[in-house]
Amino acid sequence: MDNRLTVLIAEDSPADRMLLSTIVSRQGHRVLTAANGLEAVALFQQEQPQLVLMDALMPVMDGFEAARRIKQLAGQTLIPIIFLTSLTESEALARCLEAGGDDFLAKPYNREILDAKIKAMNRLRLLQATVLEQRDLIARHNEHLLTEQRVAKAVFDKVAHSGCLNAPNIRYLQSPYALFNGDLLLAAFKPSGGMHVLLGDFTGHGLPAAIGAMPLAEVFYSMTAKGFGMTDILREMNAKLKRILPVGVFCCAALLNLSFQRRVLEVWNGGLPDGYLRRSMDGHLQPLVSRHLPLGILDESAFNPACEAYPLQQGDRIFLLSDGVLETSNAEGELFGEQRLCELLLANRQPTSLFAEIQQALADFHGQSKDDLSLLEVEWVDEARLQRPALSLAGSGGSTLHDWNVQFEFRAESLRHYNPLPFLLQLLLEVQPLRARAGQLYTVLAELYSNALEHGVLGLDSRLKRDAEGFARYYQARSAGLASLTEGYVRVLFEVRSAAQGGGCLRVQVEDSGSGLSEQLAHPPAQAQDALSGRGLALVRKLADACHWQAAQRCLSVEFHWPAQA
Amino acid sequence: MAAEHLEGSVLATLRDVMENEYPVLLDTFIVDSEERLRGLQQGLEGADAQALRLAAHSFKGSCSNMGASLLAGLCKQLEDCARREQLEQAPALVEQIAREFAIVRILLKSERQRYAN
Amino acid sequence: MAILAQPSADGQELHISIQGRFDFGAHQEFRNAYERVEVTPKRYVVDLRDTTYLDSSALGMLLLLRDYAGGDRADIRLINCNADVRKILAISNFEQLFSIA
Repeated sequence: MDNRLTVLIAEDSPADRMLLSTIVSRQGHRVLTAANGLEAVALFQQEQPQLVLMDALMPVMDGFEAARRIKQLAGQTLIPIIFLTSLTESEALARCLEAGGDDFLAKPYNREILDAKIKAMNRLRLLQATVLEQRDLIARHNEHLLTEQRVAKAVFDKVAHSGCLNAPNIRYLQSPYALFNGDLLLAAFKPSGGMHVLLGDFTGHGLPAAIGAMPLAEVFYSMTAKGFGMTDILREMNAKLKRILPVGVFCCAALLNLSFQRRVLEVWNGGLPDGYLRRSMDGHLQPLVSRHLPLGILDESAFNPACEAYPLQQGDRIFLLSDGVLETSNAEGELFGEQRLCELLLANRQPTSLFAEIQQALADFHGQSKDDLSLLEVEWVDEARLQRPALSLAGSGGSTLHDWNVQFEFRAESLRHYNPLPFLLQLLLEVQPLRARAGQLYTVLAELYSNALEHGVLGLDSRLKRDAEGFARYYQARSAGLASLTEGYVRVLFEVRSAAQGGGCLRVQVEDSGSGLSEQLAHPPAQAQDALSGRGLALVRKLADACHWQAAQRCLSVEFHWPAQA
Repeated sequence: MAAEHLEGSVLATLRDVMENEYPVLLDTFIVDSEERLRGLQQGLEGADAQALRLAAHSFKGSCSNMGASLLAGLCKQLEDCARREQLEQAPALVEQIAREFAIVRILLKSERQRYAN
Repeated sequence: MAILAQPSADGQELHISIQGRFDFGAHQEFRNAYERVEVTPKRYVVDLRDTTYLDSSALGMLLLLRDYAGGDRADIRLINCNADVRKILAISNFEQLFSIA
């Protein structure tokens, strides 16, 4: 610590000034002297002294005014000012303090007291300098951190919002920087229509919690776009997080698969609080319970991607939430809790305002928003209400395949573990004119494949799906059947031909090792269209350009046509 | 030396502080005090209570630094009168201050002789 | 918050009890509890009798202990879980990894 200071002495009496400057310089400081306030201010500007000894009453400009000006010039730097005055007049003392004086020194001067006061003021000055320095350092660090967060958020928003969180059937509540508390919200349309929605909550807080969000989002979006199903996506997300995250960091998550055409909700919940499926018909609440360990904990071999399936109807609403919602606490330290949430969900009579009600209740309860709170509502609507963006699938451009056929046979081992649809779709999209119809193609392929697998190979009876309970049983039977499957196959045939007058045609045929389709099912009566079963094939007939019953193979031959290029 | 006019202990300290500059300090005080005394007399003539008060205040401060305690006391009385704007006693006080300063001046001059370089 | 680690007489078991909040603030102390013991126990018991609160960071710390104790071969019991703690462990399905009582 440097004890040698530059001290400005402002004193009009020459004898006192001489005495004081001698005392101060004998104490090792550099001394500047002024005979009035105006001189003192000028010297201060010119020499930047660190401490001022100021007589109160001086000609030209008094000490009070000079002190005010010096304090103003010094800004946030502490320049201690010691007033030289006799301590008799309390009014004058008050004026000294008002003008910014830090201490007083009475005449006659005493060397020891002066020395002690200068030292004390210097300590104060250095303390203030340190505080300012550290404050500025913290401010710079904070600025830096905020910049980094802004950049990280901008990058992340590009990835996270490449999906369809803004779809009209989705509402969500998430503080702008919730990402930095490890909360993650993703939604994307599937090529077949319908959507995948994910709510994730990484352990911990800050950047370490956010770091896993990027790879998770990448997997979610790229695999959804390619037509992969939930099971594959969940396996990949779990494997990826397990690979990259340190032990002890993981992601509580719930993944939803909404199939608009099949009117099914599939749910996988690992570690998030209960979500809810709220029925539009009677307001019934179906809890969507966590059945699994969070993502990123288990090895691939131990990971279980089994989902639960629920039938959906127009207006049904699905709610997902992070623990921040339940742990929102009020001034008394009470938690918002499950009970309050369920009461809101049950009491509501106006479903369109339900989300706003919950939001309001949380705000009323807490008074201010929390940073680690995520709440999501997905409504099951008529798909026509959703504006889907055109599928943009990378392809090879102008050149195209014209005249070929290919047949695949997927046998038991493959059927158990592998979803061939993304692969098949990618293949068909090599045919350039088909790209515009990727969604329809995927839907048709998916329907034909699941028909062949579920009814043909596994022998399940789709009439089971007529009520909600049977629905669940149907999906259990499907999982059980697949797990123990040892024989059987699904054959997929593609045939692409050019038409004589330009344009072309794709023919798709899906056969199975079981009983195939009954002719009656292949030609469903009109009234079957609204039942839970039999809707799939009706949809195929609607989307395809032609459908023919192949009696020999007991299957449908489905055609897509395209005109000659203009 | 009469202690009520000039305190020996204060002068001893000043000698210690000022070392070689001690005689210069004494000279400076004497010249400055003559100036201040004229200021007091002018303030009195102009019946300017504020000017009188400031001049008495400053003079009081320097006197106390030099150990001229009687003189400092008289200056304080004048300062108080001027603050209350009661100038009736002021002429008598200025007269007393002038007489006391004359004594202090003589004492300082002899001190000056004793410690001349 | 205080964490006490007590090996059994035969050194086969380490008893770790956690008092107060079990959250990120307990990170270093919890690690010290099992890393800085003389014995190499075969079994671990984490006693949550006096644990008032447990968050997801605590779950992460339990996973770290599990990893340290041999991963899938680890023998770790979480005992004296109150209803709140039990609920948090249940939501995360930690009974698949730990024996919970």
